[in-house]
Amino acid sequence: MKRASPPLAWLAFVWFMLLAAPLWLPYIGGYTALGSRVLVLGLAAMSLNFLLGFTGVLSFGHAAYFGLGAYGAGLTLKLLAPSTPLAILLGVALGTAAGAILGALIARRRGVYFAMVTIAFGQVFYFIAFRWNTLTGGDDGLRGFSRQPIDLGFFRVDILNDLNAFYYFVLFCFAVAVAIMGFLLRSPLGRTLIAIRENERRARFLGIPVDQHIWLSFVISCAFVSMAGSLYALLNNFADPKSLHYTQSGDFVIMAVMGGMRSFWGPLLGAAVFVVLQDYLSSVTTNWQSLIGLMFIVVVLFFPRGFLGFVQRRIQS
Amino acid sequence: MSLLRIDNVTKAFGSLVAVRGVSLAVEPGEMRAVIGPNGAGKTTFFNLISGLFPPTAGAIFFDEQNVTNLAPHKRVALGMARTFQITEIFPELSVAENVRVGVEVAAGYRLRPWLRRAENIAVAERVAEILALTNLTGKADRIVGELSHGDQRAAEISMALTLKPRILLLDEPTAGMGDQETYDVTSLIRRLHREQGYTIVLIEHDMRVVFNLADRIMVLDQGSVLAEGTPQEIGANEAVQAAYLGKAA
Amino acid sequence: MELILFNGFNGLIIGAFYVLMALGLSLILNLSGVINFAHGGFLAIGGYLAYTISPYVGFWAALVIAPALTACLGIAIERTMIRRLYGRDPLYSLLLTFGLAFIFEDMTRAIWGAQGLPFSPPSFLNQPISLDYFFVTYYRLFMMAVVGIIVLGLFLFLRYTRLGVRIRAGTLDLETVSALGVNVRALRTMNFGIGIFLAGLAGVLAGGNLSLEPTMGANVLMPSFVAIIVGGVGSLPGTLFGGLLIGVASGLTTVWFPSASEAVIYIIMAVVLLVRPRGLMGEEGIMS
Repeated sequence: MKRASPPLAWLAFVWFMLLAAPLWLPYIGGYTALGSRVLVLGLAAMSLNFLLGFTGVLSFGHAAYFGLGAYGAGLTLKLLAPSTPLAILLGVALGTAAGAILGALIARRRGVYFAMVTIAFGQVFYFIAFRWNTLTGGDDGLRGFSRQPIDLGFFRVDILNDLNAFYYFVLFCFAVAVAIMGFLLRSPLGRTLIAIRENERRARFLGIPVDQHIWLSFVISCAFVSMAGSLYALLNNFADPKSLHYTQSGDFVIMAVMGGMRSFWGPLLGAAVFVVLQDYLSSVTTNWQSLIGLMFIVVVLFFPRGFLGFVQRRIQS
Repeated sequence: MSLLRIDNVTKAFGSLVAVRGVSLAVEPGEMRAVIGPNGAGKTTFFNLISGLFPPTAGAIFFDEQNVTNLAPHKRVALGMARTFQITEIFPELSVAENVRVGVEVAAGYRLRPWLRRAENIAVAERVAEILALTNLTGKADRIVGELSHGDQRAAEISMALTLKPRILLLDEPTAGMGDQETYDVTSLIRRLHREQGYTIVLIEHDMRVVFNLADRIMVLDQGSVLAEGTPQEIGANEAVQAAYLGKAA
Repeated sequence: MELILFNGFNGLIIGAFYVLMALGLSLILNLSGVINFAHGGFLAIGGYLAYTISPYVGFWAALVIAPALTACLGIAIERTMIRRLYGRDPLYSLLLTFGLAFIFEDMTRAIWGAQGLPFSPPSFLNQPISLDYFFVTYYRLFMMAVVGIIVLGLFLFLRYTRLGVRIRAGTLDLETVSALGVNVRALRTMNFGIGIFLAGLAGVLAGGNLSLEPTMGANVLMPSFVAIIVGGVGSLPGTLFGGLLIGVASGLTTVWFPSASEAVIYIIMAVVLLVRPRGLMGEEGIMS
């Protein structure tokens, strides 16, 4: 279901920019690893938005699954096998399983209550990572692992040392995830989710078992958020409890809102702006936290539809 | 064998009794109206039938099946479709998209991540069929939230039709409408009843609509049945006149 | 045995804090549907304000004035920002208070520094009541007494005063209350102010118990959420019970499993959600 559906040219432009990023980033004072970071956080925000913007469900604890993906990947590399694909797979498995279980516990709740419970559950994982320091390294984070080059038989992709190669690897994963999510949103299943967002009561009275579909959306979104988390661990060769904290969850939500919740690509834009802004602000002032807080407030009060939502409105009128 | 049978249902919210011992039997193909002054319990009655909450006492049978405690989406699956006093639609989607969701769910596709080409075509055809029935073909791509009240109601009825319902429950379909819109919606309902053979139960305030459309009328007052009969009988019933028609819309 | 008493008592104190915070959060949540993420920030501000003004007005006056000032700040924020978001999706007020929390933490750090500041209540309060029970200082008893009085006062207020009854009624059915001619906007503002007053008060008490730090509120915020969930959203007695329950549970767990003392509150929450999702004293359907 597309409102002002972005024309193919626009889509092509986006992908072109993503593919060419290592080339143009240095010209604006950026660097490839920054691009990777934006992609990873953008994926996380887009995954959250699958639930928030497209199903209309407010989860404020998604960092838990992001963090689980990160720790899952890190622990796999550290303790199990030096295999990047396996690390991602297990990170995703861990995050998705947690999402499936917790989602089932809360699928019947709505609104603020649902949000509260997601926050509280999220903190449980933060707190576990913090405390179980023999396994997770506690406050210092999980170290002692690094992403492994990928051996494709006929050639090796050295994602460890070649940051460009890693960027394209992340982009590949991003593309797969985003393609699946986009595909799902255009399917009958996706349409039921959008219907639930639009009017839950009407969806129910069309025969949609709403709680079940919300759970599904929750699980799907956790799967992709944990994938982003795994990539995040690979990016930093490090996983830390902060990635599980509710402040991280809040960041994902504001990225989605800032870019435009109703738009598929909005959260990626939001992530880009957020990352760049945070980087810039923290380098020029010690009070960057206040400014970020201020940004939250400004977006909420004046740009609730986000940047892309604002643009969409202008186009339509 | 009645299509819908409501046996002596009562609904109490704490000490407030909204519906008191109401019974109703609807035969296939009938058009029944439920009327009554404000607060008579009409919408509560509908909510009981459609499953929004269970009755405090009494039973509801649909097609001889006991549905008293069945969840709303399951009653929908059995063939009960309803519209609401305040139109419940998907406001930011187009009319066609609104209808499409219902068609896909009715076809059993709600969990499908993709459709085959043939299935897609069948869905589109069914959507077009329903829109033609409700005269919304020309507005298929308009955003339903931007349409007039009457068109929104027609869209909502279209959505109810996607379920291939055995019975249509319409809660004040002409609420808040002007003369022209009321006429349009009433014609639609009549068409659905006469030409398509739908069984319809409707709550209404507008007496012209009710007397025009209904085979039989049930009058509720303060949660209980005050009278039941043909439009002629009800029109002549003094108790009804006293309770209600004196304060007609 | 001593250990159990010691930790049980500590748990009760902690529980009292959770109760004070959670009641304020609950009041705001119930009437206005806003999850106030900045509640911890208000706690900190209350404590720091007390620290700043007590050299001039003394401890006892600060105990009342600092929360009042904090409540004023809260009301100002409610009127200028939060009020605009009432009709909207709860997402936005959540994000707003989230942003406020960032600002509060950063600003308190900027104004008062990141180091812990000592805030001492009058020294006579710091005496323990007996040498055997050295951990039971007068100050701690005082804190519990204050919380007890506040809780009692709150319940009496909600039951017997006009404003209190309106708040309670508004929690159940705001539309009807509005239709009866009550100024709902003012009601929400007052309610918010009361909630923030409680947070500020908790900050003053906490400051006297430990030291003042910019993050002091954040540590109490999450358990306060849990207290509300465990007790049942929408039920103030439930919040009271929930806060004490998790506080005491947390304290007692320290005796046998010191590292699990924080975990236990989340375990209790998970169990409650599984067994009785509406909370121990919550009402069915209140938030679904």
